[in-house]
Amino acid sequence: MDSSTVRIILFIIHSLFFIYAFSVIVSYIVLAIISAVESNEYMKKNSFVNYNEILSSTVSPSISIIAPAYNESLNIIENVRSLLSSHYVNYDVIIVNDGSKDNSLDLLINAYDLVKVNYLINEQIPTKPLRAGVFKSNNPAFEKLIVVDKENGGKADALNFGLNISSSQYCACIDVDCLLLEDSLQKMIKPFLEVTDVKVIASGGVIRIANACTIKEGKLLDVNLPNKWIEIAQILEYLRSFLLGRMAWSRLNGLLVISGAFGMFEKKSAIEVGGYDTNTVGEDMEIIVRMRRHMEEKKVKYKVAYIPDPLCWTEAPDNYKILISQRNRWTRGTIETLRKHRKIGFNPKYNLLGMLSFPYWFFYERLAPIIEVIGMIYFLILVALKSVRWDFAFAFFLLAYLFSVVFTIVAIFSEEFTFHQYKKKGTGFKLILVTLLEPFILHPVILYAAIKGNYDYYFNKKKKWGEMVRKGMSKS
Amino acid sequence: MTNIQNILTYFNQLPILLQIVWIGVLGLFVSILFFLFYLYYLRNYLRAEEVISKNLFTEYEASLINYLYSGDGISKITSEQQEIIDKMKTCIQDKFKRTIFISVLSKLKNDISGEMATAINTLYLKTGLIKYSLNNLESKKWDKIALGIKELTQFEVVNVYNEISKYKNHDKQEVRNQVQLYYVSLFHFNGLEFLDNLKSPISEWNQIQLLEILQKFDDQEITDISPWLKSENDSVVLFALKLAKIYNQFQVIEILLNLLNHKNKQIRVCVIEILGYFQVKEVKQILKINFGNRSEEEKVAFFKIFEDIVDEEDEAFIIENTSNPNFKIRFLAFKLLKKLNIEAINLLKVNASGINNEQIFKFLEII
Repeated sequence: MDSSTVRIILFIIHSLFFIYAFSVIVSYIVLAIISAVESNEYMKKNSFVNYNEILSSTVSPSISIIAPAYNESLNIIENVRSLLSSHYVNYDVIIVNDGSKDNSLDLLINAYDLVKVNYLINEQIPTKPLRAGVFKSNNPAFEKLIVVDKENGGKADALNFGLNISSSQYCACIDVDCLLLEDSLQKMIKPFLEVTDVKVIASGGVIRIANACTIKEGKLLDVNLPNKWIEIAQILEYLRSFLLGRMAWSRLNGLLVISGAFGMFEKKSAIEVGGYDTNTVGEDMEIIVRMRRHMEEKKVKYKVAYIPDPLCWTEAPDNYKILISQRNRWTRGTIETLRKHRKIGFNPKYNLLGMLSFPYWFFYERLAPIIEVIGMIYFLILVALKSVRWDFAFAFFLLAYLFSVVFTIVAIFSEEFTFHQYKKKGTGFKLILVTLLEPFILHPVILYAAIKGNYDYYFNKKKKWGEMVRKGMSKS
Repeated sequence: MTNIQNILTYFNQLPILLQIVWIGVLGLFVSILFFLFYLYYLRNYLRAEEVISKNLFTEYEASLINYLYSGDGISKITSEQQEIIDKMKTCIQDKFKRTIFISVLSKLKNDISGEMATAINTLYLKTGLIKYSLNNLESKKWDKIALGIKELTQFEVVNVYNEISKYKNHDKQEVRNQVQLYYVSLFHFNGLEFLDNLKSPISEWNQIQLLEILQKFDDQEITDISPWLKSENDSVVLFALKLAKIYNQFQVIEILLNLLNHKNKQIRVCVIEILGYFQVKEVKQILKINFGNRSEEEKVAFFKIFEDIVDEEDEAFIIENTSNPNFKIRFLAFKLLKKLNIEAINLLKVNASGINNEQIFKFLEII
């Protein structure tokens, strides 16, 4: 190849990187603007809502909270108490003990006076069979509690069992270690009851990080900022994701994922599509994509709603090992879902889902870490060949860094203008400090986890969930 | 100065792309500085505002309690009360204080009833807060209009019916909801007249709210719901069906039987449930005729209500449905059969029809 050909090839490579980076920045700016509009609208609308009348109404629809549990003996009693403390009237709590090897079931039996009951289960979705059976409480105070003990089949299988056993119209699928605020259910059910022009098939809630928060007897008493940088960095990441990204996608009705930690479904719709997929580690995203696909194919107007209120609080990884394992799983889940439903991508038959949401996820979620690593390798090659224009490299690096900082600050502003959860003096300084450091302390780890997730997906098929060691949230 | 000149000279000789990037960097850097200062100010402001709000709330609450307990029992305003009114009149000139004052009034209004609630309504009028609510009605912003209606509802201002009715067909659902809540909160069952020619749908959420408000009143004499059951607006029909069930409207059974063939499936299912609740036996004959053509939801709803109206002549129909592909219908059919003729179940066990009903049989043996 002569030097002009090499120059043309290099120009094309540089242009591709430039276009990709530029489009990412533009998309983030657009999403931030849309989310600002949506947040403003949501706050206005919500200021007129009286949730109390829905709470006590005998005609309010029934909801089942389905919480799969696997070896959760450390916190299960407290967590169930939190789930039972909802202010909503017409609901029950289904704990699916998914073949735990610890003494979770015994603890539940003793704490809640459970006795085995006969239960006719309509197995609309195939699942692993029951192990010890179905239990209900003798104590009227816990009449809303149903505990199912079944053979281990994974989270998706446990959720499917919950869908089978539930007799409610709506199901809130949550992680058992999550702490729900007392008014969570009425806020989550609202879109289903409020929207009249389209069918709401699911609603997703915001997940907030509970590390260092004061929690007593399953209730959130005080919101604190953790001390570890890795935890604060995740708080910032969640703010960006939930208050900017998902809020904007909700406005566009393009949400592809509802967090598995807290989402609500119309049970009939969830069962109609066959429930959760047990063959993926990203079952939360997969079921939403499948439900949307199903509705598009049936040509039914639908909506996936989103509630930005801080309703669900969970423990986030506080060390790199667990964080990498979690993000590795999220990456594999995304790949599996996008691959399984690849037919949707750029398919006008699927409208916005096919032409916008799906391509966005493919280019800016699925491919982003790969392109970033390719960019790094390419840069190192240029360094080795002494072909780097350092003035360009430095300026672009600075621009990218400052943009990431501005974007995070916008997310902090969004939080301050809406829910203002981190009120204490000094927390603002900590948040800003970590904002400046996050690109160096969290991003490389997330990138590594994503690349490892890609590797594991293609070369380590046996890898499934990975481990999440719980420390427990009951600190006061 | 020389440094700046050097920088500018360096900048001018840069390629255009790099110049743009550096301008971007500078822009972002300045934005970050601005945001940091603004964030610092905002957080301090929000914290201070929260403290002031709490203090003002406590102060106003104490004043209002004082106002409520310093009445003389006869509807005259005492001098002490007048003093409080005058003080509040000054306070509410400020928008921030006005918002807090209204929130205190609302809280107290929710906590108390009877004469004291009326005293709060009087205070709302005497302090001139009504003027601000009426001004909101004139606003071009939908949220201001909705807020105005909400306040007028809360403090039971009945003589603005016409002003509020202007918004009953407003584009924004939230405004329409507030208008409907105003009608029902203040005019009780008579307020439901808006259903007569309502074109827009009433959301399930608002239906629940309206029903809850209606159930709070002492006077439970409901107006005739027949016209609403015949409405072209499906959400009105669904709302009327809820009224029929809650207020035991047996006189509309004929209309309900006609609704069994309504075009909307949700209405048909709802009607089946209510007719079952009223234990109307005629429903059996109507539904049995074209049972096979009905939706799964209707079939399940029918079998759920069957238990209370079943008799021996239904046995053949029930046996036929013990082989229904729908699990729920099959279970309910076997359950009914157990009630009617346990021998028939044993016979069906022997002549099992390819469908595995083992789980159902086991369960029926226990219950």
